[in-house]
Amino acid sequence: MFENYQKDHFFDEMFVSGDHDVFDFYQPLRERFDRLSEAELSEKRRRVDHGFLEQGVTFTVYGDEQGTERIFPFDLIPRVIPDAEWRLVEQGLTQRIIALNLFLHDVYHEGRIIKDGIIPEDVVKTAAHYRPEMLGVQVPRDIYIHICGSDLIRDGEGRYLVLEDNGRCPSGVSYLLENREAMKRAFPGLYRKCGVRPVDQYPELLLKTLQHLSPRTGQTPVCVLLTPGVYNSAYFEHTFLARKMGIEIVEGRDLIATDGYVYMRTTKGLVQVDVIYRRLDDDFLDPAVFRPDSMLGVPGIMEAYLRGNVALANAVGTGVADDKVTYAYVPDMIRYYLAQDPILDNVPTYLAWKADDQKYILENLERLVVKAANESGGYGMLMGPSSTAAERAEFADRIRHTPRNYIAQPVVPLSRHPTICDDMAIEGRHVDLRPFILYGEDVEIIPGGLTRVALKKGSLVVNSSQGGGSKDTWVLYR
Amino acid sequence: MLSRVADSLYWLSRYLERAENLARLVDVNRHDALDSTGGEDNEAVWRPLLYATCTETAFTEARLEGDPHATEVGAFIMFSHRNPDSVRQCIATARENARMVRDQISEEMWLELNSIHLFMQSADAEDLWRRQPEALCREVIKFSLLFQGLSDATIVHDEGWQFVQLGKFIERADKTSRILDILTYFTEPERTELASVLRSCSGFSAFRAEFRGDITLPNVMAFLLFSQSFPRSVRFCVRRLDGVLHAISGVPIGTFSNEAERLTGGMLAQLNFSSLDSVWQSGLHDYIDGLQQRLNDIGQRVFETYVLLPSEIRNVNRADGHRPQLQAQQQQQ
Repeated sequence: MFENYQKDHFFDEMFVSGDHDVFDFYQPLRERFDRLSEAELSEKRRRVDHGFLEQGVTFTVYGDEQGTERIFPFDLIPRVIPDAEWRLVEQGLTQRIIALNLFLHDVYHEGRIIKDGIIPEDVVKTAAHYRPEMLGVQVPRDIYIHICGSDLIRDGEGRYLVLEDNGRCPSGVSYLLENREAMKRAFPGLYRKCGVRPVDQYPELLLKTLQHLSPRTGQTPVCVLLTPGVYNSAYFEHTFLARKMGIEIVEGRDLIATDGYVYMRTTKGLVQVDVIYRRLDDDFLDPAVFRPDSMLGVPGIMEAYLRGNVALANAVGTGVADDKVTYAYVPDMIRYYLAQDPILDNVPTYLAWKADDQKYILENLERLVVKAANESGGYGMLMGPSSTAAERAEFADRIRHTPRNYIAQPVVPLSRHPTICDDMAIEGRHVDLRPFILYGEDVEIIPGGLTRVALKKGSLVVNSSQGGGSKDTWVLYR
Repeated sequence: MLSRVADSLYWLSRYLERAENLARLVDVNRHDALDSTGGEDNEAVWRPLLYATCTETAFTEARLEGDPHATEVGAFIMFSHRNPDSVRQCIATARENARMVRDQISEEMWLELNSIHLFMQSADAEDLWRRQPEALCREVIKFSLLFQGLSDATIVHDEGWQFVQLGKFIERADKTSRILDILTYFTEPERTELASVLRSCSGFSAFRAEFRGDITLPNVMAFLLFSQSFPRSVRFCVRRLDGVLHAISGVPIGTFSNEAERLTGGMLAQLNFSSLDSVWQSGLHDYIDGLQQRLNDIGQRVFETYVLLPSEIRNVNRADGHRPQLQAQQQQQ
């Protein structure tokens, strides 16, 4: 299976640099795949894909009148992470989510980090998702980001780096859980032999995280998942999580806020809601406070929230922490709040609002990746090395015009992983990793995360909207 | 349970019952068309179907605008995207509702529904229709019956299940009355037409047993409207409807706690105690019209009782149907 595999000059997750040996934790996997014929592999793939389609594990393609649903492309070769390596990642992510939460509490209260000159006030207050409504607000348990999806990459030397933090409504965990089910069905023997840590406890941990926030004590909290609705690309995930947690999935129109409380409408009348896991951006949450044209939100929900009668996860205003400019300051935050050195490094980042950095960015556009500060899903990006002169000129213009909105980073040669490509050939494709971090009574991270893979040859963009797929991630017991 | 969930379960089940009835209607009609002088494609034979499904205008328009499925009535009823009540669309709508309530239905129910949906959307379904139309109709009917069996056998019979029953029986009563209405399309329906209507309601053998094969218009009417025990007669369906509504509210049968129950009870009493004379008096078509109107009212009252809040009843229509969709698509990270 792997005899024609080319490592090229990238860090490979499976193959040791220099020769055709694999890391020892990949040995059982290699042996299993070497025993597979192309026809068997192809049959396994067909069965897994069919299973996803049949189960409705799909996302909706936008801009398609027919509402076409696709399965998220899934690669059958799992990524393997040994225990020691994972421990380090886990510590790094834990440190990071704690610092991010301290930061959020700080900027919405005393603003010490600004007064002490670590982060300029401007950077915070001009962040698109900064919410002055949250100033001085006491959020339940002082936690802002309860569910975080930080994206990790590995560079040419195999070092883990944080690429971005998703602290608003990160998605993808349902694919992680479904991928695992599919792999257990497709490769039961290999799975057992490797000794893989389970992930299926996630829904329970999430529910515990939510219940921890309930303002009402002495009874089982009423938690609901608020979805933007069936047209959202992640709708499958919303129903999936609600089902696994055994809570109601609600749309804005199912909720009603009066007199500072939130209720859901049931066939037996109104029922008070304690905790809302909302998969809806701040902007759309409450038309009475944010976007007045929102038809997805609940008028009055903010009032109930500010009065402490209902908890929201994540809190309102967390977007200021996952702004790409704020991102550049996270290592400083860790040092400032925790007096520790960051365990996981950032990718070096140039901030266009700083004169020196801007000069450097403009002079080196063809070597850098430029990103808009507040976009996600791989939109609003310039990939310097593969860009045209016209695109670079356009970005240069935008950078000069609104420098606060842009950052630039060197192109990191993301690690690659053997991946089944066209005609069942196995080739190296770039991958990243999105672990899911829960912050409730404790910080809990399910082993591994969603490994996303850029299926297009040479592509560094792993987002599903840009032709990315995924792999199962196996964190080993040993 | 959430009001919206109850609503989705209700429509999920209504649309599937609708798809089943349409498929059977097409199947029977195709079969009977073989006996008619003009051969299978004789459009006159298919006209009553458009009449019964209230899609005459939609069909003419679709044909004028070159809808490939409007070259024949059968394909129009099975597949057309321009026919909101085509079998394909009904199943798609049912499946859309099911997606919203996946936590309420069993894995088996979802798998079957999703797979028939994927099949109906595929070219395979149209191919089967061209080669063996009756096989496609049977596929749909079989699926619907399987789905009903699964909903009886694989989910708890709680409130949600009652809403599934509610949708099924209200739709079935409506469809039986519409199929019966086909007879008013003919000045003097003959044996073929009478038999065809019975078969469209899956009731030929049951009718034979009850009336010993005496196929006359009054007998067919009595059977499809008033039979005590035939599970597709209007009376049978309304009796079940009455039971389901009371199971949901917990109020004893014979009393009522909301408008839906009051209307259903009244309709049932009338069906229980009326005879063909009252049908003749108003004329079959008008009588059926009256039934359908009452069924619509019941559906509306169910919606008002269990889905809307009292303050919203005056104000049902949402101003802008498309905007929530666009906004929902913007939320992602």
